[in-house]
Amino acid sequence: MRGKLGLAMFIAILSVAFMMNHAQAQNVRAYMGLSPENNVKVVNFVKEKTGISILQTFQSFGEIEAKVKSEAPNFNADMITGCGSPLAFMAKKNGWSVAYDSPEWKGMTSEFIDKEKFWFNISNFSFVLVGNRDKLKEKGYAMPKSWKELLDPKWKDQIVMPSPFSSGTANMIRFSFLALYGEEQGWKFIEALDKNIHHYTRSGNAPTDLVGRGEFLLGITSDENVKDRLDKGFPLLWAVPEEGIGYDGTFAMILKGTKVMDVCKKVIDVFGTPEFSNMMAKMGYVTPRPAPNALYGDKTPKYIKLDLGYAAEMRPKWNDVWKEKFRTEFK
Amino acid sequence: MSSNQSIPMLMLNDIHKFYDRLEVLKGISLDVTKGELVTFVGPSGCGKTTLLRVIGGFTPFDSGEVILDGQRIDHLPPNLRDTRICFQNYALFPHMTVAENISYGLKIKKWKKNKIQERVEELLRLVKLEGLGGRMIDKLSGGQQQRVAVARALSLEPKVLLLDEPLSNLDANLRLTMRGEIRKLQERLKITTIFVTHDQFEAMSISDRIVVMKEGVIQQIGSPIEIYERPENEFIASFVGYVNFLDGVVERVDLRPDMATVSTPVGEINFVPERNFNVGDKVKLVIRPETINMSRSEPANGDNILQGEVEIGMYVGSLAKYTVQVKGERMIIDQTNPRETGIFKENEKIYLTIPKNIHVLRKN
Amino acid sequence: MAKAEILSIPQRNLWEKIKTFINAELIHILAAILFLLLAIFLLYPILAVLIKSIKSPDGLTLSYYAKFFVKGYYFQSLLNTLMLGFINTVVCLTVGFCMAYLTTRGPLSLRKPLKFIAMMPLIAPPYLFAISLIILFGRNGILTMALGLKWSIYGFSGVVIAQTLAFIPLAYLMIENTLMSLNPNLEESAYDLGASETRIIRTITIPLLAPGILKAGLLVFVMTIAEFGNAAILGGRTPFLAPDTYQMIIGEADFEMGSVLSVILIIPCIIIFFLHSYLLTGKKFTTIGGKPVASEPRKMTPLVKIPFLIISCLAGLVILISFGVVFISSFTRLLGVKNEIVFSHILNFDSNRAIYNSIQVSLIAAFIGAIIGTLLAYVIVRGKFFGRTFIEMVSLSGFALPGTVIGIGYLLAFNTPPIKLTGGIMILALNCVFRFLAVGVEAGISKLHQINIEIEEASADLGANFMTTFYKIVLPIMFPAFIAGFIYTFMTAIVSLSAVVFLVSPGFELAAVKIFDAAAYGEIGIASATTMKLVVIVIFCMVILNYITKKTGFDVSQKKRSVTV
Repeated sequence: MRGKLGLAMFIAILSVAFMMNHAQAQNVRAYMGLSPENNVKVVNFVKEKTGISILQTFQSFGEIEAKVKSEAPNFNADMITGCGSPLAFMAKKNGWSVAYDSPEWKGMTSEFIDKEKFWFNISNFSFVLVGNRDKLKEKGYAMPKSWKELLDPKWKDQIVMPSPFSSGTANMIRFSFLALYGEEQGWKFIEALDKNIHHYTRSGNAPTDLVGRGEFLLGITSDENVKDRLDKGFPLLWAVPEEGIGYDGTFAMILKGTKVMDVCKKVIDVFGTPEFSNMMAKMGYVTPRPAPNALYGDKTPKYIKLDLGYAAEMRPKWNDVWKEKFRTEFK
Repeated sequence: MSSNQSIPMLMLNDIHKFYDRLEVLKGISLDVTKGELVTFVGPSGCGKTTLLRVIGGFTPFDSGEVILDGQRIDHLPPNLRDTRICFQNYALFPHMTVAENISYGLKIKKWKKNKIQERVEELLRLVKLEGLGGRMIDKLSGGQQQRVAVARALSLEPKVLLLDEPLSNLDANLRLTMRGEIRKLQERLKITTIFVTHDQFEAMSISDRIVVMKEGVIQQIGSPIEIYERPENEFIASFVGYVNFLDGVVERVDLRPDMATVSTPVGEINFVPERNFNVGDKVKLVIRPETINMSRSEPANGDNILQGEVEIGMYVGSLAKYTVQVKGERMIIDQTNPRETGIFKENEKIYLTIPKNIHVLRKN
Repeated sequence: MAKAEILSIPQRNLWEKIKTFINAELIHILAAILFLLLAIFLLYPILAVLIKSIKSPDGLTLSYYAKFFVKGYYFQSLLNTLMLGFINTVVCLTVGFCMAYLTTRGPLSLRKPLKFIAMMPLIAPPYLFAISLIILFGRNGILTMALGLKWSIYGFSGVVIAQTLAFIPLAYLMIENTLMSLNPNLEESAYDLGASETRIIRTITIPLLAPGILKAGLLVFVMTIAEFGNAAILGGRTPFLAPDTYQMIIGEADFEMGSVLSVILIIPCIIIFFLHSYLLTGKKFTTIGGKPVASEPRKMTPLVKIPFLIISCLAGLVILISFGVVFISSFTRLLGVKNEIVFSHILNFDSNRAIYNSIQVSLIAAFIGAIIGTLLAYVIVRGKFFGRTFIEMVSLSGFALPGTVIGIGYLLAFNTPPIKLTGGIMILALNCVFRFLAVGVEAGISKLHQINIEIEEASADLGANFMTTFYKIVLPIMFPAFIAGFIYTFMTAIVSLSAVVFLVSPGFELAAVKIFDAAAYGEIGIASATTMKLVVIVIFCMVILNYITKKTGFDVSQKKRSVTV
């Protein structure tokens, strides 16, 4: 009997000890949608500079958008430290975010900051075409030079790209193609492309790894991890097709109802520093303070002309169109 | 050991069985004659059930032979042996009816449908369960389940029927009735049967011969009378019924008339020796409580008469049980017909007569 | 107690009255509290899902359901899900039966290792197999390249294989349990009556195990269609309901359609649950008393032994290889592509907090779950009040509720005041408590059925009040059930993904979700390394728990077996 009680006590103490262990200072809960490893780099940077721990779960832009939408107005996070333009604009419109004017923003490219200071774009990212060097050579295929080439039937089931529901990258890919070709032709292109797509991944960075591992020949992917994977020695080829690439921001903002407003502000401040810009540029992002970009170098890639505001507004409708087109048939 | 000229139905030759390092059967040899009912009896852990399972083919053993009707069967699995077992818990198939249970083996032997039906009805009649063939097992009483189990075991007319404590789950009265029924059935069918029980009275009442086992060794094989009257050692004597033991030393041995005298703590006792004793042998007298005669007045005939005092008396109806102090020794005595002599009171001084034909064990 | 005798006249003040009342009515008070908990944390979330699926801004509507049945996509998804569940259940039960038969009836030397292998997947997240299958059979997988395979792992067949491997242990465990409790004399009797081993299995073993097998099937089916890790990673463009639901909720915040999918997902589970309950009534075969005889290792006929061995060894081998591959992959830069030994995956500590959280959540859940389960079992068996069977049914329904549904239910039910739990750790723990409650409750019920109520009455007769009786008599007897509930909840909670994936929030992420993210994202090395860490920690926890229970005189398995001589 004593043994049983002892065991029960042990379990009880263990459980209680675990429950108690949750009073930690200087924490800020954030939704953060960079690639997981870049999330960690940013978290570590902030921790080092300010001592603040950003508690974050990795989610794609679309997932963050869904989460914030479903939680509003009782958010389970204090701030967003990386989401796409649709959510940034939506949050401002719905009054979910708090305006804050950081003293660190002096001398910055102005389109990275909201006029009313409801959001701040910590850096732009793009999508590129990646291919597996070894596998392409094996098949005797050349790396495509244009998006149009991807419609060639020889690529059937050999291309992966992210799903625009969960991935901000894919949303960007979609609105870029629609801007490039015009909406009607754009959808036709996307439908044609769909015939060659093996599947749509959850995360915008997944195609980089899948193609890098040789699972698929080609991928349309976020440029965030391309530099890192090349450094790690993945047999990757990457290209900016001749039609150009799109871009989207990585937005940060403070969510209404936070109990640690000061901590949130400090985090926004850090994002405004030149050191932060440098770090992001080294990873391959295009930053609000111009810095030598690790992926593209000095040469600015060719960008498709975009209207992010319009794209954000159209996102729900385009999602419905997507569903109509790709979620109706027996496959 | 074998009692007559015919070849025994079942022969066990020097069977050894180990569980890990523990030897649970230490060289068991036994012959069972056709039509005989032999009971294995002994305290729990004596190896009786293991031995039964060895015969049935369920438990592999380490050395020895099992010979059934002249053929070695120890390499055969249970389904190929002509022995049928009836487990203590009956092991009736709960998802089948009575008839399905009984016909299970017949179907395996590919009997014809009408033949099976005939046989099932015959067996149901045999165990007095006519008309219950369609019942599910859990709708039967304990005694009925017992009968079904027996009927199922008999269905294939086995050469040897193995019964593992078949009556232990029944209440006292039912056990008595079923005991009689099993015995009658067995005698009628003349089926060689091995019956395992830990109940010595059950063994006494049902068996042709009893095999008393202890710690994996056969202590004695004999008819119920032999086991009771002439147990070969103290264990057997005390295992079957109550017994008064008296230690003593042989004082005198006379050949004519055949008589020996032992000095014991209660005085000298004469007995008719069943075998040779020498003067000075240390012996143990085995005196059954019901063989001692009690009286108020000193009997005229003067052999083996002791004086004692009644300590406790218990009247049980058919007999009266007394604890009697005799010179510091406590003896249990059964008075078989208490009405005749009248009940003895506590503290009453009485005379005891020990019979001369008592069983005497030599101590070593 | 002594005091009361001296005073002889009981005090009639309010406190005494309350005390007497509580003592007399405790079981009813307990039942009321427990029912309230079940209602809040199990029924309400499910109801919330149901309501969400039929509520539109302008009142009730079936338009979302109409959408489901109009679009072929959803129908295909349902069809795939049911097919997956069906195939998986059949395969898992078959393999589980073969393995359980061998470990309970087969040669002694084989029993332990086989049992160990069969249980291994229990301690890893189910989608470990997706990871290992990609490494081995992906388009650039080791075996694909080595053997020049044309088979594509991405799709229906890949998901089926991964899910099967993941849920073999569940089937195995439950079947083994029933096999152990089957009186071996029954099989021996059939053997004695001339039946061959195949015939015994066909006519005795399987019919008698039917209730247990059915239950194992139910559990496997529900888990298979709900745990979507493998389907999400390997599914490619093959739709399944659970990952689709996940996609709708997590990716699109389409709660209406997500709820519809959940309700659809729940229907087959509920049907099987009731079918199972219905079939079980009147099929509980009571074996007649007598000493239980442990089944001795007996000679299996080659006709049975060889196919059983082949199936078991094949499954065992694949499980071992899967673990091995994941182990190697956690030390390799990129297994199959760049085979360099690196420690960066293992030394990547980003997931440490998640692992820590996982253990924390699982321990809390296991502790609360075991307590509630034990109390529920007591109330169900000993209580004599209206609605007792309803409570029993509700608490056992956890068997039949897909994790995704409970997860979404919690998200819908506890995201807004009055009960706002999202964004915290308790919502993760509570959801695990009520999802896995059924096992503890069932263990408790069967334990209580074994003990006679007279023991409690004897205690009451000796003057103990209800509390004392419960504390001194009932709790010690039910302790094994408590431990069983604790361990099951702990082990399942720590690797399960399907519900918690909806409930994690910044700072409260869990290892299972982290691994899934990494795997879905393509970070095989990190996913493998985190899996390995989790496995090691779970093993460590189990060893400690086992040690403590042994030390305190409780065999976790509670199976005292002795060979009767």
